[in-house]
Amino acid sequence: MSTVTASDAPRLSAWRGYVADLWRRREFATYLARANLRARNANTALGLLWWVLNPLLLSLVYFLVFGVLFNRIDEQPRYLAHLLSGMFVFNFTTLSMTGGANSILGNMSLLANIRFPRLILPISALIEATVGFLASLLVFYLLAIPVDGILPGFELLALPAVLVLHVVFNLGLAALTARLVIPFRDINNLIPHLTRLWLYLSPIIWPITFVTDRAPWAAKWLVLNPMVPLVDLYRWVLMGDELASTSVIGSIAWAVAIFVLGILAFVRYEGNMVRHI
Amino acid sequence: MTVAIAARDIEVRFNPFIEKSPTLRRTIARGRVSKREEVVALDGVSFDIMRGEAFGIVGSNGAGKSTLLRVLARTLRPDGGSVMVHGRTSTLLQLGVGFNRQLSGRRNIYLGCLANGLTVAEIEDRLDSILDYAELGTAIERPMTTYSSGMFSRLAFSISMHLDPDILLVDEVLSVGDEDFRRKSMQTMLDLLVRSGTIVYVSHNLQSVEEFCDRVMWLEKGKVRNIGDPAEMVEAYKQSIKR
Repeated sequence: MSTVTASDAPRLSAWRGYVADLWRRREFATYLARANLRARNANTALGLLWWVLNPLLLSLVYFLVFGVLFNRIDEQPRYLAHLLSGMFVFNFTTLSMTGGANSILGNMSLLANIRFPRLILPISALIEATVGFLASLLVFYLLAIPVDGILPGFELLALPAVLVLHVVFNLGLAALTARLVIPFRDINNLIPHLTRLWLYLSPIIWPITFVTDRAPWAAKWLVLNPMVPLVDLYRWVLMGDELASTSVIGSIAWAVAIFVLGILAFVRYEGNMVRHI
Repeated sequence: MTVAIAARDIEVRFNPFIEKSPTLRRTIARGRVSKREEVVALDGVSFDIMRGEAFGIVGSNGAGKSTLLRVLARTLRPDGGSVMVHGRTSTLLQLGVGFNRQLSGRRNIYLGCLANGLTVAEIEDRLDSILDYAELGTAIERPMTTYSSGMFSRLAFSISMHLDPDILLVDEVLSVGDEDFRRKSMQTMLDLLVRSGTIVYVSHNLQSVEEFCDRVMWLEKGKVRNIGDPAEMVEAYKQSIKR
């Protein structure tokens, strides 16, 4: 038996049941992710390759503009590896955001008919994005090893832990985006501009010394950008760069905060999603 | 008789954005360009549906029938009131048969069943039976974008019935199937009633509502006009639309 009332938002006591419900449908999440990957492969000639090609081509553009034209290569040794690592990490986050929102908007008929924990949809979008991200890490080494002489070190053993942090952060952000996009579709048009701004505010194209050396007053504000500690962690894991002492705690704090905020906002809104078909 | 569904004072309001041409004069006069006006889709709807009962719902377009079914399916949370549902529900709504139209019918069977909480192993046990019942032949391997509305409803009905529902919510889907399939699906629903299952049946085909249902609820503009004998309700509803 089950009862639904107007105040159906899960209370704390109901979370255990929600998580159990999610776990029971884990095969649904993976099936949906595989189905979407397959559909993507069927629709374009290069299929999944675009997942890697998009950030790669964008990186090459920035490499030409900043690395060659503005000669940033002097300032940041191993510029290509620096750029690629940042771009792939950033791309994983932005694709999780848009993928999470689209997983709800694109499955409205499923939502209207069947009662299931809606979080399954962004989770399946995240599974899909994680597969693409892992593929892009291979491409990273394929280019970084010959061009910048980077060899994976023992730090690579920390990759699973960093990946878990990143996925937790991305899932929270995806849930938050979905919560906002469903009633306010306009936000979908705003997202590309916000992410571009975020990209330029993050130490991806430019080296972190850009801020710490030239504008020390601004350095303390870097903590407000979750990409700063996250990209720092990845560069330590992937290419053995020096790890800033605040990056570990910063990444954990951001991941937990965004995850809790995103999941709460999303789950409390679940019963109203069908209103916006 | 035991109650399968108990609905008390269900209320659902929507907030559509009412657009009015934003002339400068009106903007100045009213101080704002547009305002939000609430539309009440369901207004204090209460009823009980018993086990083993076929419960019909009639009403004009926009009376709130589909909204009500979504509340009963618990995919839409009401703004007020409560719904109690005893048993496993399976939903056959008009809109959402093709779960993902890019994918083949076979993959949609998996998708629909997985969303309903079945495991892959459970689906594989039922797959042959689902395919046999839907009678789609080799079309099952084609993407559902190529399906006719009749093929849609065959597949959707077959999936729904193989979820072993105690309660089946049906919205109009069966009216698009051919005569053979209509007869077969009616028989399957009668079997469900015999096993003391419950069916909530929404249709504009008044004759089928009258023949099939034990009781009928007449909805009008989100309110219950009356609940009672199918022939009487259908007749009263017919009279109201003639006027």
